[in-house]
Amino acid sequence: MASADKPINTDVPEKDVFALHFLQSLSNLRRQNAFNSPDDTTNNRVKKIKKAAYVSMARAAGGTNRLWSRALLRRAAKENNKVVIFSRRKKRVTWLRRSNRRDPVDAERLRNLLPGGGAMETSKLMEETAHYIKCLSMQVKVMQCLVDGLSAK
Amino acid sequence: MNSSLLTPSSSSSSPHHLQSPATFDHDDFLQNFFSSAPWPSSVLEDDAPPPTSDTAVASFHHHDVDSRNQITMIPLSHHNPNDAVDVNALYSGFSAGSLPFHFPQGSGGGVMKQSHTPTQSQATASTTTGGTATTPQTKPKVRARRGQATDPHSIAERLRRERIAERMKSLQELVPNGNKTDKASMLDEIIDYVKFLQLQVKVLSMSRLGGAASVSSQISEDACGSQENTSGENQTAAKMTEHQVAKLMEEDMGSAMQYLQGKGLCLMPISLATTISTATCPSRNPLVSAVKEAGVLLSPNTATTPVVDVKGASVITVKDASSVSKP
Repeated sequence: MASADKPINTDVPEKDVFALHFLQSLSNLRRQNAFNSPDDTTNNRVKKIKKAAYVSMARAAGGTNRLWSRALLRRAAKENNKVVIFSRRKKRVTWLRRSNRRDPVDAERLRNLLPGGGAMETSKLMEETAHYIKCLSMQVKVMQCLVDGLSAK
Repeated sequence: MNSSLLTPSSSSSSPHHLQSPATFDHDDFLQNFFSSAPWPSSVLEDDAPPPTSDTAVASFHHHDVDSRNQITMIPLSHHNPNDAVDVNALYSGFSAGSLPFHFPQGSGGGVMKQSHTPTQSQATASTTTGGTATTPQTKPKVRARRGQATDPHSIAERLRRERIAERMKSLQELVPNGNKTDKASMLDEIIDYVKFLQLQVKVLSMSRLGGAASVSSQISEDACGSQENTSGENQTAAKMTEHQVAKLMEEDMGSAMQYLQGKGLCLMPISLATTISTATCPSRNPLVSAVKEAGVLLSPNTATTPVVDVKGASVITVKDASSVSKP
């Protein structure tokens, strides 16, 4: 059992990393020609862009190093029927299970919100939430800048 | 070694000094003691005199002047390094007469222990000096620690709770309006903020399509159909929300506001919305331009908000001002 708490690292890459990933995914979408108006309703376009935004955010924020990004990528890959490869995985299953049973009820709503939140300890959940919030706000800033830049005619 | 014992101490609490006899003799010492001015009985106190920088001073306090058998004040000064030896010598000297010692609690050195037992044997006296002097002071601390230490589960629980509290604190700084002291409300705040950010991403991804029309169709319900409607779908989640809000507004304004706030939305008066859209650059944000087409907006923040028309109510996310208007 850990006697001392390691310092939590919730660093988030700079805005341009997020911007880069997002633009890459957008250009991918465009290349795939996914926006043909006849067969696409607006909602589908919205969904695709939203998914691209989340996936690019997950990639920019550290790929498979974070639990939430891993879960996000896995979810996205499942929709596309792809397989995601993980580089490493921590083996603390038994300890997790024991403490999980004790109070997963505690922060249930938060768990439902956070991708991959159902399988975490509460303290791990908090950590992931902090990182998730930071990444989300970064992504929002990036998208806002794009919108502003593109719509200023 | 005798004279050093009886040299006057440098303790601040004891203003009295002993005349130091040359020899360490029982009777001489006692006579010397009681021949000097009688100590006031209120001297017996527990306050800790501040330790001198180099020496630790222990002093005996006067308990009862009357009985000859009670030694009271023997201030010790550790001018020589081997004070322990002197102390033991003192004890050995006095134990023969079975004199009652009243040792006050040593503060700086912790050498003497205040005991209320009338007789102190030498062995106990010398043994109690080292360890027990500190125990009365730190007993509660030791007890608590031992109580927790014996139960590994409670230690784990404590650690876990501390970790969660620490992370909660770091989350508090991230979330705006995170000054809630209550853990539950802080959790609610965090959840709302995450939901709000996700909604922002969704809205921004809508707007990225570069069509004010599509955006407006998503966020506003228009019974008149005055806007171009490219989506072709009439049932969006936003519309359902608006239906719900309209229903709630008929019953009770407060519950409607609460419902909206629970979703991270708010209403604003249309005049305010138009002011926003015209004050800033008109077409910079497709969201804002879409607002112009909207019907009625109410704001919970302003006190007087007349309900103009419930049917065409639109809802915008205004939780973070920078999302809708220009930062």
